[in-house]
Amino acid sequence: MQLVDVSLRDGNQSLWSATGLRTEHILQIAPVLNRVGFRALDFCSSTAMGVAVRTHREDPWQRIRLTRAAMPDTALQFIGTGFRFISWERAHPDVMRLVYQRLVAAGISRFVVLDPTHDMSAVLATARIIRQAGGTEIIAALTYTISAVHDDAFYAGIAGQAAASRDIDRAYIKDPAGLLTPERARTLIPAVRARLAGKPLELHAHCTIGLSPLVYLAAPGLGVEVLQVACGALADGSSLPDAERTVANLREMGHTVTVDDRLLAKAARYFDRLAAAESLPSGRPRPYDAAFTRHQLAGGVLTTLRRQLAEIGLEDRFGAVIEEVTQVRAELGYPIMVTPFPQMVMGQALSNVLSGARYSVVPDQVIRYVLGSFGKPTAAVEPWVLDRIMDRPRARELAAEPPPPSVAELRRRLPRGITDEELLLRFGMPGEEVDAMLAAAPAGRHYHPEVQPVLRLLRELGSRPPARRLVVDKPGFRLELRGRGSGARS
Amino acid sequence: MDLTNEDVTDILALLDSLPYDELDLQTSRFRLVLRRTPDGWTQSVQTRSAPDALDVSPAGVAPGAPPGSPADTDGADKTEVAAEVPSEETEAGTGGADAGAELVAVRAPLPGTFYRAPRPGAAPFVEVGSRVGPDTVVGIVETMKLMNSVAAGVAGTVAEICLGNAEFAAHGATLLRIRTD
Amino acid sequence: MLIIRRLLIANRGEIAVRVIRTCQRLGIETVLAVSEPDADSVPARLADRTIRIGAGGLADTYLSVEAVVGAAIAAGADAIHPGYGFLAENPRLARACEAAGIVFIGPSAEVLEAAGDKLAARAHAVAAGLPVLPGGLVGAGGLADAGALAGRIGYPVLVKAAGGGGGRGLRAVRNAADLEHAVAVASAEAQAAFGDPRVYLERYVSPGRHVEVQLLGDGQNVIHLGDRDCSVQRRYQKLIEEAPAPLLGETLRVSMRVAAVALGLQLKYQGLGTVEFLVDTQRAAFYFLELNARIQVEHPVTEAVTGLDLVAEQIAIAEGRGLRLSQASVSFCGHAIECRINAEDPAAGFRPSPGTVTGVVFPAGPGIRVDTHIQAGSAVPPQYDSLLAKLVVTGADRVQALARLRGALARCQVAGVATTLPVLSRLVDDEEMTTGGVDTGWLERRLGRWLEPGPGLEPALGPALEPGLEPGLEPALGPALGRGEAGG
Repeated sequence: MQLVDVSLRDGNQSLWSATGLRTEHILQIAPVLNRVGFRALDFCSSTAMGVAVRTHREDPWQRIRLTRAAMPDTALQFIGTGFRFISWERAHPDVMRLVYQRLVAAGISRFVVLDPTHDMSAVLATARIIRQAGGTEIIAALTYTISAVHDDAFYAGIAGQAAASRDIDRAYIKDPAGLLTPERARTLIPAVRARLAGKPLELHAHCTIGLSPLVYLAAPGLGVEVLQVACGALADGSSLPDAERTVANLREMGHTVTVDDRLLAKAARYFDRLAAAESLPSGRPRPYDAAFTRHQLAGGVLTTLRRQLAEIGLEDRFGAVIEEVTQVRAELGYPIMVTPFPQMVMGQALSNVLSGARYSVVPDQVIRYVLGSFGKPTAAVEPWVLDRIMDRPRARELAAEPPPPSVAELRRRLPRGITDEELLLRFGMPGEEVDAMLAAAPAGRHYHPEVQPVLRLLRELGSRPPARRLVVDKPGFRLELRGRGSGARS
Repeated sequence: MDLTNEDVTDILALLDSLPYDELDLQTSRFRLVLRRTPDGWTQSVQTRSAPDALDVSPAGVAPGAPPGSPADTDGADKTEVAAEVPSEETEAGTGGADAGAELVAVRAPLPGTFYRAPRPGAAPFVEVGSRVGPDTVVGIVETMKLMNSVAAGVAGTVAEICLGNAEFAAHGATLLRIRTD
Repeated sequence: MLIIRRLLIANRGEIAVRVIRTCQRLGIETVLAVSEPDADSVPARLADRTIRIGAGGLADTYLSVEAVVGAAIAAGADAIHPGYGFLAENPRLARACEAAGIVFIGPSAEVLEAAGDKLAARAHAVAAGLPVLPGGLVGAGGLADAGALAGRIGYPVLVKAAGGGGGRGLRAVRNAADLEHAVAVASAEAQAAFGDPRVYLERYVSPGRHVEVQLLGDGQNVIHLGDRDCSVQRRYQKLIEEAPAPLLGETLRVSMRVAAVALGLQLKYQGLGTVEFLVDTQRAAFYFLELNARIQVEHPVTEAVTGLDLVAEQIAIAEGRGLRLSQASVSFCGHAIECRINAEDPAAGFRPSPGTVTGVVFPAGPGIRVDTHIQAGSAVPPQYDSLLAKLVVTGADRVQALARLRGALARCQVAGVATTLPVLSRLVDDEEMTTGGVDTGWLERRLGRWLEPGPGLEPALGPALEPGLEPGLEPALGPALGRGEAGG
């Protein structure tokens, strides 16, 4: 059995709103992660690149390059969802071609192609673009959800379509909401494998309601070759199963897993200490929640929702929003709850709850979704909802929107002489955010969790009146500072 | 992980502009003292952690390790090597007491919490310089609420105490060192 | 290609600490081979595990191929890092590793032999098109040969050991009358140090500068990582090194780098290596001296100006990865100077000063790096070399580096043993040092002036520190070094 580690991307996104990790956190542990023996790392996504620029003012391309230099033995993976790059706007195929070329040049060799509506022609078109751009391993994502439409035959069908393409090397079942049960897995996985024509199958299931670790135990026996896991504080909860526990369980069942246990533990403890030093939550095993099978909101979405509601003092409406989500999802034709759809559905649910009149306020993404910009919805949109959404000036504007700009068009619009990497960032993000990133100092390259409390204290001290003597005494840690003229020995 | 040069640089970058002249950071593994002088900062680093010696050695089983210890796996290789290397002159008195006496490690028999005294608040069993016999209790390792007393195992003088009170001791970790007579 | 998981470090002191630090960063488990006196040293405390390689003398511990390889096998190590000195350039160790299925971090036994035999190295250099000093082996005809050879080369000549470097078996001869004695003594020293009495003669160029070029190769591709100037030497032992070499014409610098790479390619060099050159400043000419097939003491100055981790590069090459840097990707920025702080008493002829360090304070701040193995309580045993610490200071340019270095040296304090700190302080204050480009005879001339007996001797050397141990202690530190160590 082989493992793919998702700590740095999906773990960070699920548990830390994609904002927890900075370049220095990643580079510090990269050499160790490289030697664990993972088949690949889920490393990067459009969202993650946007966060790097917007929240941390760090160059995401440089982050890929530096990580690749520190990790020559483990493939780095990018997960792409449809024809978009960072922003919600649909991107021209030319632009996507350039995105993938730059990603390959920076060091990404493995790509996941995820189409939220399972529009397989779009998937294969993207896979072709990636292959031509130099992608070594291209994986089709089969995103699991529960609905009338998404039965075993449905998944077998799209698996067959994916496997038929020379541009698809393997597939994975992606369960972002952690809904897959061992029982369902026993029919779903064989049905999918039967149509994969020998191409390998991986499994990526979130632990949101505690099911995935059990599914993982059944998976090897059903022919899954690779399990996706996360390490330490970045595992469990709404993230993926814990790597150390998964390895132990697999070995207990007689499977061979070739990883460096010492280094796996080192990586896991590093994330634990990082979480403690940065006051970030650790993933914890979750209890089974039957209501969840209804609203199906994936990991980071729930965390983000709670945070956003708390920020505006409306955390008590959390339950009402969740209820509205179920309703909205059905009305919009059962979009699969994977980025960008959970955000979209929840955005609409939030609007509906806060405004008091359903669909009186409609975000642009929802309008674009019903216009078909993200692909044809899997099932039809509820007619009265469609009418409410389309009957507004903004919908007419968006319907009349010109096609997305080509690369040539972007080069004309943006300042001359900028690199392709900068061009792509400026395409997907507001210019001020890119400016701020470029102006900022280069990202750090090392990080020591145990030193963080000292650094934090020193930063805080800048705004406090000086003390003659300051002592912080905790188990295993003692810090003393002596002020000027306090008799410090020189 | 131990403190690196970059860590010290990070600390200094913040400390320099603060009205403090001295920083003294202690953990169980290291102690760092930074002092401001008219010419700039100085550093003093003390690495405290005790070495973790392997129980195997190329010339045979290391002194102090019980026979048939679990780490003694490469028996065949060791005897081969031992034939080529002169045997370790562990008891050789090549000069004064210092030069010839053996430093023997007293190790934790089980993983657990190391206590230096019989009860909290009581005087420690031994200190550096205490004379001990083979049966002298030098500490307690508490594992899952059971107290395991640890005996010196040799006659001599306590030379170094390697682990602090109430610190965690891994299986086989060096607790103290005794200079044998 | 393989991934090294557990590395046995077959060395001690500051280089052991250095290798451990990179291994910690990379996630490689370290096992440090320790002799009895080193069992509780700082590197022993930093390593993941230690393994005893005996309580005997050097020959039975750090210089014993059997002890070292035996330790690696017993510890389950997949590789051995030999550091510098000791067995770092010993082909027997490289072969024993290969036989035991252990990776030796360094070049192949064949390259070690080629580099270690100074004459073979000369021949390779000539084949690669490098300029060498006029010279030749003193052949079977003995003294008659030597005389004729010296006559052809022209006096003064240098008599050098063919079997090893580091300043052993080295004698300068100014005229024919002194040749016989010099050859006899050099040959005896060479036999004692390397087991090989062969000597060769080379033209003695003075004044000259010692400039070396750092190489990194993977057996097929070889690149250089810039040059270093190591001319500040006392009895062929380096005290101060800097990168890049100052006051070197661009043409000369480029030619030397190209020449060094050519030699590396000639040898299909794998790993880290340094090509030493003698630069004849008056003629703007350079000559190949020797190839050091190991990591050198002064590698930090190269790391400072390139931003690279040379130990990590060594390990990557040893793992079988191809060179992951191209020449174009190596850039140089700033200027770095390293001072070696030794446990020697300058007021007593640099007599080694073993003992116990009772207190250590080093500078800290921007551009300051200290590589050391000592802390308060550290033993400085008499049987090993005297290097206590390396102070490496970087600046945007040489002027800034020197200014920082002066302040940094002033903040160094080592108590419990005598150190060379007072001398270093005077050296970096010196006007000629400030100008840069001093030749290899400069330090001894300076010391000669400062140590002339007369009033004010003590104050001239700076504050007196506690002297070392018992008087009458044999100056045992120098010659205890392994082959090739002393020079780098």
